[in-house]
Amino acid sequence: MTKWGATVIAIVAAVVLQSSVLPIYIASPFKPDLLLVFVVFLALRVSFTAGASMSWGLGLVKDVFSGLYLGLNALSFLLIFMVIKHISDRLYTGSAPLFVIAVSIATLSCVSIDMLLLVMFTASPGIAYSMSVGLVPHLLVNAFVASLVPLIPGFDRLLEAE
Amino acid sequence: MNFFKKYTLLILTAVGLLAALIFYSLNIPHNRNANVIERWVITVFEPIMKPFYQLSLLGEGVVDNYLDLVNVRRENLHLRADIKALNSRVIAAEEACQENRRLTRLLDVKNTIKEPTLTATIIGEDLSPWFGTLVIDRGTSSGIAEGMSVVAADGVVGQVVKVARTSSRVLLLTDHSSGIAATIQRSRARGVVKGKGDGLCQLEFTTREEDVKVGDMVVSSGIGGVFLKGLPIGEVTMVKRGEYGIFQTVTIHPSVNIAHLEDVLVVLRNGND
Repeated sequence: MTKWGATVIAIVAAVVLQSSVLPIYIASPFKPDLLLVFVVFLALRVSFTAGASMSWGLGLVKDVFSGLYLGLNALSFLLIFMVIKHISDRLYTGSAPLFVIAVSIATLSCVSIDMLLLVMFTASPGIAYSMSVGLVPHLLVNAFVASLVPLIPGFDRLLEAE
Repeated sequence: MNFFKKYTLLILTAVGLLAALIFYSLNIPHNRNANVIERWVITVFEPIMKPFYQLSLLGEGVVDNYLDLVNVRRENLHLRADIKALNSRVIAAEEACQENRRLTRLLDVKNTIKEPTLTATIIGEDLSPWFGTLVIDRGTSSGIAEGMSVVAADGVVGQVVKVARTSSRVLLLTDHSSGIAATIQRSRARGVVKGKGDGLCQLEFTTREEDVKVGDMVVSSGIGGVFLKGLPIGEVTMVKRGEYGIFQTVTIHPSVNIAHLEDVLVVLRNGND
């Protein structure tokens, strides 16, 4: 299987898992953002050009299945990718704790950017309160998922393959 | 004398046979009663026979039990397989019964709605925790269009917002962007039900003077044309009137349990029709 084939399968699996499987078993505030974890992984893994377009595309995929505003997560994912990519050269990207920290900061940033964009450009009264209330469980769940990712066989190898 | 010497063996054999014949013939009338010899032989052999017989019985028991165990294990495996098959049938039957109940209730609602409706199944939820949307398995190929209302057996679910060929997304009434024109069933006070997040709604634009009490039923008013008039939306769980301000704060708990929603009805009437 080619690298791109595996990537597409991973993205489809993440969307299906997050949309149709996990909501049956876990409460809404504890939904993980698997696509965001994937974006952080890309920022540590792939080149700037390919990663930036993929991050924007992943954000669009998330927007298709979430909320009403196409482009909201696309923008926030792209910004997060660019920031992490910018500093990733100075980091030991094979470190599992660093990955968890990176995902946690990315989650915080994503929620902040989304909240700012929603408050500024949409008529969604009360969304800021809902997002603030749901931030902590969302952050914890994403950190938990991020802590599982380095357990995937070949995580270090994948990061070093660049 | 030489004669006896010569035929000793033959004579003894003949005498023995004759004695045996006589013994046999003498015992014929008493064949049902044990004679002295029989009793003696039986008495001598009895203590020897008894433990051997019991030992044999034990051996037979061990062999039988072992064979039984082998059979029991085989039978056990067979029964386990049967139980699994039957359990899956029971679960399937229970699932079918529950589906039947759900669809029957939905059918009751369908019969009360005068507009044509379409049954749809939920196949996904929103990826984010702070937006309230669902994905249903019907799209433009089934005649669904943006703006159509979606109801369940217990009441209003939301509104179709994005339609693809074979699936659509439904904006739930609990989403922050949702708004439904509503009426308090008892007092006919009007307002707009807006999503509040956390699975709750709020009745907005209801003036302080309007009569709203906890426990009141909120139904769609039909204004705007998206939702049919009189569909249950939820129940008033909190009413707050501040000292100042024009409006009162009314919190509503939706009638529909969104977390356990499986089948819905899409009313095939667009608000713009």
